[in-house]
Amino acid sequence: MAVVVGVDVGSLCTKTVILDGDGKILSYDIMRSGHYYKGAAKESIENALKSAGLKKGDISYTLGTGYGRGAVAEADAEVTEITCHARGAARLFPEVHTVIDIGGQDSKVIGIGENSRVVNFVMNDKCAAGTGRFLEVMALALSVDISEMGDLFFASKEKVDVSSMCTVFAESEVISLFARGHKKADIAAGIAHAIARRIMGMVGQVGLREKVVMSGGVAKNAGVVRAIEERIETSLLVPYEPQIVGAFGAAIIASERMSTTIG
Amino acid sequence: MSKIAEVTSDPYAYVAGLKERKNKKIIGCFPMHVPEEIVHAADLIPVVIWRGNEPVTWGHAHVPPYDCGITRSFVDDAVRGKLSFMDGFVFHIRQCLQAGEFPFIMERHFKPAYQKVLYLPAIYPGDAVRDFALKELESFKTSLEDFTGEKISDDSLKKSIEIYNKNRSLMERVYEIRRAKPGILKAKEVMQIVWSSMLMPKEDHNELLTELVKGMEEKSVKAQKERIKVIPVGCLCQTLQFDILDLIEDLGMIVPDDDLYIGSRYFANPVNLNGNPLNALADRYLTKTPLCPTKGVWDIHWGDEAIKKMRDNDAKGIISVRVKYCPPHTCYYPDFRSKMAEKGVPEVMIEMEHEIISLEGVKTRLQSFAETIGGV
Ligand code: SF4
Repeated sequence: MAVVVGVDVGSLCTKTVILDGDGKILSYDIMRSGHYYKGAAKESIENALKSAGLKKGDISYTLGTGYGRGAVAEADAEVTEITCHARGAARLFPEVHTVIDIGGQDSKVIGIGENSRVVNFVMNDKCAAGTGRFLEVMALALSVDISEMGDLFFASKEKVDVSSMCTVFAESEVISLFARGHKKADIAAGIAHAIARRIMGMVGQVGLREKVVMSGGVAKNAGVVRAIEERIETSLLVPYEPQIVGAFGAAIIASERMSTTIG
Repeated sequence: MSKIAEVTSDPYAYVAGLKERKNKKIIGCFPMHVPEEIVHAADLIPVVIWRGNEPVTWGHAHVPPYDCGITRSFVDDAVRGKLSFMDGFVFHIRQCLQAGEFPFIMERHFKPAYQKVLYLPAIYPGDAVRDFALKELESFKTSLEDFTGEKISDDSLKKSIEIYNKNRSLMERVYEIRRAKPGILKAKEVMQIVWSSMLMPKEDHNELLTELVKGMEEKSVKAQKERIKVIPVGCLCQTLQFDILDLIEDLGMIVPDDDLYIGSRYFANPVNLNGNPLNALADRYLTKTPLCPTKGVWDIHWGDEAIKKMRDNDAKGIISVRVKYCPPHTCYYPDFRSKMAEKGVPEVMIEMEHEIISLEGVKTRLQSFAETIGGV
């Protein structure tokens, strides 16, 4: 059985997906990247192998992707997360033409053309504004668990504007909104709308073409998903586990390379 | 190539040494449109001002951090006394708002022995523009004559133009050979060649180029079929970080030609020497191509020009290099990008900062682009 592995070493989390020869997901793993990407990649692969009941020797091909793709010592090759997210999203939703990916510390919008190939993309990797890290800091400022942020959005009754997208300034803005008596839910919704505004700017550069898939950890926040849907005026397709789309795409490319080698 | 690498590795030391060796005054010409030939004809050494490689320090007291790299680096160098070997400066201040700041800063803090402010016109249709450009060049010539106390004769100006034209044709030959034998020089080396032309006396550079061309003609290179040809476009006024050029090649791409200022734009268009030499220099300035967003030309599209260059070179895509905080390029870019989208041309934009913050981000963009056009 030609087992292939995709490892996506992101700035916040490392994700691994193992596929069998038919392209079926055998297992996956998500863990914090920490400060030692090489170690994180190794550990994540081991975790995924363990859940699939496989050994290292069973792997035929490993492909690294993500910000720390160069640190995957086990990788036979590396491909960028842009290409991998596109490929992963297109396998899950063949009708996709746009991918919005909001990860731990960067965000990207990818346009997809024929054969699941990337036609254009924009990425914001300059600051953590509107990313997973931003949401974590905002959750802390609101004194809620990050997993509650999505539900809070739907409990919102009053519109509150969070104008700053800089993680540092937004944090103090949230504190001053509290001081002015605004409710947690309304502020959480304001944060989600602020993220959506920023993403809309990037979508504008790539050009919106349906269907639109959202991937990355932030897609687990239903409030942000809804806020983006309202802005782009179309519904988003969100995979069951949006965080592993890049690793899944990497594994798909790994299996394509395997079949080219074998073929 | 070793001499060229030496000149560009420390332009400050090279130009300071040049002044002593040649016993001539050095005039710094701010890129991109100063006709250096007139300075040359005045028996002075024109040198194109460059972006240094140090972080900006005192300069930020004079120009804001949101000015482009060369603006900040040049002012920083000047106020720190790093350019004390320069005797004078020429600025074409209508090129962009930032260039307009220089004369005041230099006058106040540097007090150069010579300073000329050029007002070359934007290229609108009609004769008035040509008269305007010609008058400016005449006043430039007169200011140099006043500075040196010597008249610049038409003959000496023609001679200088011939030397500059020779340099242009030799540089064109280097590019021709590179087009025919991609990979014969690294992209970084080609940029060093053009940059050294901006720093060295053209006579010396012509000698070097003659030798280099001969070597290139004789050398054979392995075909680079597996590499993806790309055309870098833009990067006004300044060198692109060499690391970025290396990155392009390390990622499996190859540069057969370019549309960069420190590249093919610098030596494009020889001066047509039929008749009055100042007229001929004005005509060169008024040539609309290679299109420059600082000249206000709207009837020719930069995107079309770039696409033509890409197709002529059988290249697969365009890498736009935009200097961060360069308003002329930034204002033009949306149109450029729309043209790429309209014609279905793969294009990626990387923003170049004086202080590189993250080469990793640039790498991801370039690698994704290579994967896109390479069919991954
Ligand atoms: S790079 Fe742009 S902004 Fe800077 S001096 Fe040149 S034209 Fe002006």
